[in-house]
Amino acid sequence: MEEAENVTAKPSHQDIATTPAPAKDTRNTGPGRLLIAVYAVFAISATARAGFQILTKFSEAPLAYLLSAFAAVVYLVATVSLAKSGRTWFKVSVAAVLVELVGVLVVGALSLFDSVNFPHETVWSLFGRGYAFIPLLLPILGLIWLYRRRPAPKQA
Amino acid sequence: MDAYFYIILVVGLVSTVICLGAGILKKAPNDTTILSVAAVELSLLVYLVGSIVRVAGGEQMAGEPWEFWGYLLTALLLPVGAVYWAILERTRWSNFVLAAVGVTALVMAARMNQIWY
Repeated sequence: MEEAENVTAKPSHQDIATTPAPAKDTRNTGPGRLLIAVYAVFAISATARAGFQILTKFSEAPLAYLLSAFAAVVYLVATVSLAKSGRTWFKVSVAAVLVELVGVLVVGALSLFDSVNFPHETVWSLFGRGYAFIPLLLPILGLIWLYRRRPAPKQA
Repeated sequence: MDAYFYIILVVGLVSTVICLGAGILKKAPNDTTILSVAAVELSLLVYLVGSIVRVAGGEQMAGEPWEFWGYLLTALLLPVGAVYWAILERTRWSNFVLAAVGVTALVMAARMNQIWY
């Protein structure tokens, strides 16, 4: 959470009711903070869950548990990249959120139609039903947020 | 589900409602919202002390002990991190971050109860 410190360097907006204009190329203020917080919770829980599954019962369902681990990595990358400022981190964020969206849609569909090969729970199973469908909602909100705070086009 | 869960359920829901309300009313984090999150931390600490006493008294939990303690210690870190963040940026959005603590804590408490019984 150290990344958030650069926020204090910005001039403070006394009128907290209005959304501050995106003066800098950052996505870690305002609604972005809530997004990062939810991503952080998912990163922690997905990492813990995947670690637990792989350490204790990996042989039961290697594919499902590797998917869990992959989801955990995606959430970690998304959390860190959303908290960082700059054009490169923006691209990393877009990539991570897109991978997350594809992941939740593909794994969600597979777990629905091919329950034989995907009987074991992952974060993305059944479109994230075990997590109140937040995994499905999160990448959509993430893309909206990234679009609203996209870096200004390069000056020619 | 035991008393520890119901305490966290009530405190967590109240805290979430207070913080959500403050966020919707476009208020920055204030004493009320931060204290409500502190109450969540306190109820988690009660769960921690109670669990240590029960384990010391020879009670066995049904699930994996290290999974239980992992959940509990992670849950204890959440309010601290959220309040720290809310102090760094005092906007209405930090209240929504604080609101997430109560819900997360009660979901984790439910899971801890499942592991224990």
